[in-house]
Amino acid sequence: MSALEIRNLTVSYGDSPVLEDLTLEVPEGSFVSLVGPSGCGKSTLLRTIAGLLTPVNGEIYVFGRPVDGPSPEIGFLFQEDALLPWRTVGENVALGLRFRGVPWAQAAQMVEEWLQRVGLHASRSSYPHELSGGMKKRASLAQVLAAHPRILLMDEPFASLDAIVRNILEADFLDLVREENLTALLVTHDLEEAIALSERVALMSAGPRARIRQVYDVPFPYPRDLIRVRSDPAFGRLLQQIWSDLEEEVLRMGWEVVRH
Amino acid sequence: MALLLFLLAWEGASRLGCISPLIAPPPTHIAAVLFELVASAQAWAHFWTTVFEALGGLVTGVIVGSLLGLAAALLKPVADLLEPAMALLNAVPRIILAPLFVIWFGIGIASKIALSFLLVAVVIFFAVYSGIREVDPRLIDRVLTLGGDRMDILREVYLPSLAPWLLGGLKVATGFAFTGAVVGEFVASSRGLGYLLSFAQSTYNASLTIALIVLVVAVVLGIFSGFERMERRIFRWKPVPRQKKAAGLRDLLARRRRHPATSEWGHRRADMRARAK
Repeated sequence: MSALEIRNLTVSYGDSPVLEDLTLEVPEGSFVSLVGPSGCGKSTLLRTIAGLLTPVNGEIYVFGRPVDGPSPEIGFLFQEDALLPWRTVGENVALGLRFRGVPWAQAAQMVEEWLQRVGLHASRSSYPHELSGGMKKRASLAQVLAAHPRILLMDEPFASLDAIVRNILEADFLDLVREENLTALLVTHDLEEAIALSERVALMSAGPRARIRQVYDVPFPYPRDLIRVRSDPAFGRLLQQIWSDLEEEVLRMGWEVVRH
Repeated sequence: MALLLFLLAWEGASRLGCISPLIAPPPTHIAAVLFELVASAQAWAHFWTTVFEALGGLVTGVIVGSLLGLAAALLKPVADLLEPAMALLNAVPRIILAPLFVIWFGIGIASKIALSFLLVAVVIFFAVYSGIREVDPRLIDRVLTLGGDRMDILREVYLPSLAPWLLGGLKVATGFAFTGAVVGEFVASSRGLGYLLSFAQSTYNASLTIALIVLVVAVVLGIFSGFERMERRIFRWKPVPRQKKAAGLRDLLARRRRHPATSEWGHRRADMRARAK
């Protein structure tokens, strides 16, 4: 069964359609990356899947059930750190569990477990502003995963990090996603990141009225060494192919985009 | 220190006859009058009347102001209805309504509470209204995708984001509450510090006038420091230490040297907390 099925989706802001007639299927347990020209509506698609936006047309099914608002089966990792600044790391991780009415003792235990898994148990009583960028990302991930979703949506989660932290976090995130048998959908503007992490890369066409232009299979089995995989000749070929298609989309959009 | 020097200079000038004691009596004399005031039961009755009026206006004003602010921020029609009225009330010197309130509510404490209430409610309304509109929408998305409902959003996002605005508003409102009470008494009354003030003024008693002013200032500052303590407790999570202690230029320079990067804020905060333990 597909974890996520999007059929003929149209989403508009006001009168202008951002996505039109978009169809995409994400099989259970797979890791799919979504790339496309900037401003094409990648984030809009994720927000619609998460139930934060209501589509004008089309359906989204999560494990066969239509989406009508935020669902406990979907975890959303935002681009910015959206930790509550007035809550400690531990309290932030517990948030989803508290909202779902998990008994206190059990929640505390799960929080502890997740803090261990992301390596933040020593910072459980720190406030978010006391953490580094990478630590905030780990805390956000623990916050989302502690609520036990089956699908993980990620909106450029590594965009603001430096290269070193980024490489380490990518590997850790991938491990956690595999361990938890999550279905993952990652939005990114970094083609290399998309290929290195996922088994499929979906390229979106230029917006407005964006849709999925093409889906590419990534020929590397898990577990992967994210650094070594980048030096594989097949990696380079795939990168080049997606890049030339992406470039075509960007140019099709014209100078409109390049200006902002 | 500067204050002490100033008082000494004043004392000297007054004693040597450079300033007329009618205008500025020596500080020791004012202190004596203040002491007399504090010692007399009658003054205390006036004092409590004013405090009661101010606190009455403050409490009712804060409650009504926050509820209206909350309603306006969350419900569009309420905002359309209230915002112009509040903006108008905010623009005019509301104190001008004092005589009207005396006509409406009599010369008793009701007219003073009403004046104080009006001064406070408008300030708090805008603090809450803008506070809620400044809420980070990403945090609301965060709570929603984690499975929170409307109550969770209110408790986890709106109220904590609102706290700094509300406390800031409260400090201004405290001053306004006493302004309302004292000016109200000034206009027409038979009790209260404002009444004593207008009595002192009409008899050209500068010592009593200044003593009363000192008394009111002391009360307001006392309430302020209470709020500041509250602020420090509530805002443990803030990156920057909140206390607005006027740091001297030398302090600032020294601090700058020790912590050249702004990213050090967090560490410094942690240090401070460790030292406090």
